[in-house]
Amino acid sequence: MAANFWTSSHYKQLLDPEEVDVVFPVDKERGITVEDAKLIKFYMTNYIVKLAQYVKVRQRVVATAITYMRRVFTRRSMTDYNPRLVAPTCLYLAAKAEESTVQARLLVFYIKKIQNTEEKYKYEIKEILEMEMKILEALNYYLVVYHPYRALSQLLQDAGMSDSTQQTWGLVNDTYKMDLILVHPPHLIALACIYIASVQKEKENTAWFEELRVDMNVVKNIAMEILDFYDSHKLMTDDRINAAMNKLPG
Amino acid sequence: MAATNNMLNFEERPSWGSRSVECFEKLEQIGEGTYGQVYMAKEKRTGEIVALKKIRMDNEKEGFPITAIREIRILKKLQHENVIKLKEIVTSPENNKYKGSIYMVFEYMDHDLTGLADRPGLRFTVPQIKCYMKQLLTGLHYCHVNQVLHRDIKGSNLLIDNEGNLKLADFGLARSFSNDINANLTNRVITLWYRPPELLLGATKYGPAVDMWSVGCIFAELLYGKPILPGKNEPEQLNKIFELCGTPDELTWPGVSKIPWYNKFKPARPMKKRIRDLFRHFDRHALDLLEKMLVLDPAQRIPAKDALDAEYFWNDPLPCDPKSLPKYESSHEFQTKKKRQQQRQNEEIAKRQKLQHPQQHARLPPIQQTGGQSHAQHWNGPGHQMNNSQMAVTGAPSHHQYGKPRGPPAGPSRYPPGGAAGGYYQDRGGQSSGYSSAPYPSQGRGPPPYPGNTAPSNGPRGAAGGYGGAPPNNYSQSGQYGGRGPNPMGGGGNRNQQYGWQQ
Repeated sequence: MAANFWTSSHYKQLLDPEEVDVVFPVDKERGITVEDAKLIKFYMTNYIVKLAQYVKVRQRVVATAITYMRRVFTRRSMTDYNPRLVAPTCLYLAAKAEESTVQARLLVFYIKKIQNTEEKYKYEIKEILEMEMKILEALNYYLVVYHPYRALSQLLQDAGMSDSTQQTWGLVNDTYKMDLILVHPPHLIALACIYIASVQKEKENTAWFEELRVDMNVVKNIAMEILDFYDSHKLMTDDRINAAMNKLPG
Repeated sequence: MAATNNMLNFEERPSWGSRSVECFEKLEQIGEGTYGQVYMAKEKRTGEIVALKKIRMDNEKEGFPITAIREIRILKKLQHENVIKLKEIVTSPENNKYKGSIYMVFEYMDHDLTGLADRPGLRFTVPQIKCYMKQLLTGLHYCHVNQVLHRDIKGSNLLIDNEGNLKLADFGLARSFSNDINANLTNRVITLWYRPPELLLGATKYGPAVDMWSVGCIFAELLYGKPILPGKNEPEQLNKIFELCGTPDELTWPGVSKIPWYNKFKPARPMKKRIRDLFRHFDRHALDLLEKMLVLDPAQRIPAKDALDAEYFWNDPLPCDPKSLPKYESSHEFQTKKKRQQQRQNEEIAKRQKLQHPQQHARLPPIQQTGGQSHAQHWNGPGHQMNNSQMAVTGAPSHHQYGKPRGPPAGPSRYPPGGAAGGYYQDRGGQSSGYSSAPYPSQGRGPPPYPGNTAPSNGPRGAAGGYGGAPPNNYSQSGQYGGRGPNPMGGGGNRNQQYGWQQ
């Protein structure tokens, strides 16, 4: 979705990291920490990605769905909005908003298929539709999300790095496993991914970055955040994720 | 799932979530849309007058209607003085979220262009037409720059307030598009009379030019005084276009022969362009601009931005300042309809008397001199529900417009089975207008009763579209004067088709 990012609700809704790392009192009572919340959102991101592969939607639908989910949890508690239901519902809503409608019954079918043993994930169509309304409200009906992908291919071409498209695209995909999209403008996320790619390829790009007249400190900070995430990723073990998930209501 | 706390916000401005519709006092219904009703309402706290458009949520198998999602998503993105402002979304506290109602809150507008143009005795001045056209093009240019196609530009979707401001409304059919026009879009959009040739020929890749064709039709209509291309169905619509603009070929419209239905609709004989001939009384600059809008080949059709630069807008008389325009008494389809219903009852009494005196029958009934409005009801397809009690008389020949002995019989039976005039998608929505949107684009205000557009030029064109939007109906195509004045009694029967056309 193009239009102008700077006048968009997405831009106006960019948050400070502290606002993203909020844990609601009801969640705290359950012993959910900031780290737990990150693990739960990480796990739910993967769940959305997996579900999306079955219902066959485009990458931008997945990205929008994850953004919706992450936005919801800056405003609503996980106790009241069970992530196991919020995640698929965000995919359902994002599919509509991005013009790739997925039927609710199809979604429910694949949820059951993926989570065949897990009772906690079994939801009926009615529950998805109810949650859809609540998510729309939580999002204040702002449904437009800008993603780094659009800027990415243009920037790569301009930087003469088209051969790194696949690598940077993967990096951008990974940024959705964290809350970056809620905090930074998408083109800076794209640049940070390009920056990481050029460092890894040992491609000298300083002049190109300087010409862009963006604040390189911000870009480098985002890049650091991404690299930190990769480091901490190794520590995101199944055990820790399960422990966090078990703190959620059933 | 844990029980949720009460999420309705009665506060002034919650930081998130929606307020309750209880924050507003409904004043009166001003329209009936596919989603549900449209109300004029007053915000209790500020006294501000708004329009509330209900999004009906019951009977939805797929949750929040995608048409509403599109409209909300697009309206949240567009902020412009010539685009209707979606102020907020409120929820109804009566039921639970899923079954309850959602309302879109719009700024209130007094009229729509069709309603205004149809006011008896009202004639737009040249500076006024220029003023409206300029605002229409400015708003549309803004949409196109923001990669939004409106896809239902017509008079009843152009709302006008008493400050002379014109705003594009009803984005229920609108779509975002990307510049790389690779996506296939549905060609079943835009009300028939305003639908461009490429869509009629089945194109599924198209862009902003589709809206510009509609603008051209409206422009000509404002100058001409009545719709210029009132086709009854799609083949006839295309034929009317060819009669006016000439027939296309690979020279004038490169690629035309590759459009899906070109061979099916290919005109039997070549026709010449007759725009200049038919509209020779138009002023030179107006004609120049119109000709650039009604170009068959969408690639050569003038974009909104260039149209704004046309000589027409920069030569005397200049477009007037919106604020200098006269203020008109507020009129909404729903309100004028009430008046017309009353009027019609009087007419029926008059007719009954006439039937008893057949010798008078051939004369021009006095009611028909009262101007078009009163007839709209009779010929308005869905109106028959209300006419039931009067069927015996409505079937009387005295009903025929201008006392002509021919013309379809009145009453429900007057509609030919299958709505012969309904085109291919006759079951598509009826009128949509103003704030509301039909799941399907409506196909027009109802064709004229006689072939070849020989309809009496002062024939009724229905009521102001206003906020309303008619319920879809199967008859508006064949209703003699149907269409523009949608009938709220018709009920939104087509909602289940909401998902039929989208891609």
